[in-house]
Amino acid sequence: MKIIRCFPYVTKQITRHRVRSLLTVFGIAIAMFLFTSVQAMNDGVLEATTATASDTTLVVYREDRYCPATSQLPQDYQRRIEGIDGVSSVTPMMVVVSNCRTSLDVVTFRGVPKESFLSGAGKGIEVISGSAEDWLSRTDAALLGETLANRRGLKPGMRFDAAGITATVAGIVRSDNPQDQNVAYTALEFVQLAGRDRLGIVTQFNVKVTDSALLDPVADEIDEMFRTAQEPTATFGEKAFIGRLADDIIELVGFARWLGLGCLAAVLALVANSIVLGVQSRIAEHAVLQTLGYKSWVIAVLIIAEGVLLCAIGGLLGAVVALSVARSGNYALSVEGTSIPIVADYGLLLMGLVVCVVIGVIAGLVPAWQASRRSIVECFRAV
Amino acid sequence: MNFITCRDLTREYKKGDTIIKPLDGVDLDITSGDFLALMGPSGSGKTTLLNLVAGIDSPTNGSLVIDGTDLSKLSRNKLAAWRSKHVGYVFQLYNLVPVLTAYENVELPLLLHDLSKKQRHERIQIALERVGISDRAEHFPRQLSGGQEQRVAIARAIATDPDIIVADEPTGDLDKSSAHAVMQLLQTLNSELGKTIVMVTHDPKTTEYATRTLHLEKGKLVEAEAVA
Ligand SMILES: Nc1ncnc2c1ncn2[C@@H]1O[C@H](COP(=O)(O)OP(=O)(O)O)[C@@H](O)[C@H]1O
Ligand SMILES: [Mg+2]
Repeated sequence: MKIIRCFPYVTKQITRHRVRSLLTVFGIAIAMFLFTSVQAMNDGVLEATTATASDTTLVVYREDRYCPATSQLPQDYQRRIEGIDGVSSVTPMMVVVSNCRTSLDVVTFRGVPKESFLSGAGKGIEVISGSAEDWLSRTDAALLGETLANRRGLKPGMRFDAAGITATVAGIVRSDNPQDQNVAYTALEFVQLAGRDRLGIVTQFNVKVTDSALLDPVADEIDEMFRTAQEPTATFGEKAFIGRLADDIIELVGFARWLGLGCLAAVLALVANSIVLGVQSRIAEHAVLQTLGYKSWVIAVLIIAEGVLLCAIGGLLGAVVALSVARSGNYALSVEGTSIPIVADYGLLLMGLVVCVVIGVIAGLVPAWQASRRSIVECFRAV
Repeated sequence: MNFITCRDLTREYKKGDTIIKPLDGVDLDITSGDFLALMGPSGSGKTTLLNLVAGIDSPTNGSLVIDGTDLSKLSRNKLAAWRSKHVGYVFQLYNLVPVLTAYENVELPLLLHDLSKKQRHERIQIALERVGISDRAEHFPRQLSGGQEQRVAIARAIATDPDIIVADEPTGDLDKSSAHAVMQLLQTLNSELGKTIVMVTHDPKTTEYATRTLHLEKGKLVEAEAVA
């Protein structure tokens, strides 16, 4: 196609109107940085709270409690829950957080019975550095989720302090479950004894069932079992449980999505403005091109291509920066011992780019159409 | 044989209720190889006639046949394709694209033709050499004088080797010596390459380079005198 040969004309319009292009690209990049960041949080909410068919984990919490400090259950519920049909493992956990408020840098300890953990609730965990044996043999040893370890710069052998607990890193772990990625697993008694004596008390039980179809019936059975007990329970699928504790974050992220849409509107306005001004200042130039034999639809395509190119450069820049910040910071939004990751993958980059290109096309449509409709002689008279 | 034939050529514009007729029933024959100078007071319809011959405007009445093609019957796209093959337009204010170098400006019309990069390069070299400005190929319009810009514009107009060159007051914005150089250039294109040239001019001196001069007044040809 001949029109491909004309694209250097478009790139030259951009590179040789340097200041105008840089300002536009800069604006687009900032807006797309914000949009991509919001999108990364939103993806994290979806990842942490959307149930999938392969989920087999239930969380047993104290009824009507919404934070680890007040959810207290007797550890001996474990035996009775293990007796229910369809339950494959029960892991009692004591959860302690370094910061009760919502923050990007909370350290969450999960005290678990070490001997049974790796074959129960910790089954999907992969030790990527350090060793599980170390963890098993030392009382103060901790297995750190990858996100937490990277954020705090912790490596096996290092000691760290948080939430009044001093622990030694025995290993770094990786898991598909965002909750594992952002916690420190230590011995149950170690956490129970930290600060005050809470032996025999746990925050929650993580219960694995043999089949995801059993999640609801088993949850009902557990809650029924303890309905009249001193400490009644409320049992949820893990994702629903996260959604329940982190609902204020989720609401905020939901609101932030509007800000994200606002950013897209800003990009649209910015690009449209740049194109409209560019087209207006080049009325005679486009008439000259037509005089030389350029067809009006070719002019329209060149105008749209210019918007698309500006958008693609700005969008890519913004998305890459957002992704790099999210990746290098290893952030996760934490609240009440739960964790909402900030997802920063290449899908996000692609999405940002596609959205931006679509905006570029939309922004150029009207000016391109107008420019291609104008009669050539009118254009020459207009200037 | 007539190369360009205008019969009852008319262009009207509606402005609200009033109708303006910049061109009012012009009959004109131009032979291949003519160098026609069009004179007349401002507003007499010279540019309008030139734009019709160049195919960037269409008549509201009458017929305009160029080398067997009736321009008044061509669609907007067909007309564009016709222009790219047959016409080179030289403007009073050069109208070079400011962000492109002289070389790139001359390349613009060639991009529409089926030519390789190498073939385009050859054509651009030939055109720039003919107008005597090869040494300025990499300069941007703002780095050139008016006379040099007009020469680049002429190179752009002849790069595709069209049979017709139209020029609207090509020396109107130039000093005497640049004007003289541009007129000599046009004359050479006419005499050596056989280009048919239709030129609008205000300056009676420039008509000396033409083979024929016609006068327009209020949209009509008033007298015709052969100078050659
Ligand atoms: N598009 C248009 N709309 C209204 N009037 C026009 C238009 N084009 C030309 N005219 C009028 O037609 C007349 C002739 O214009 P033009 O051909 O440019 O004259 P010249 O080139 O001889 O000075 C002028 O009065 C001009 O105002
Ligand atoms: Mg005029």
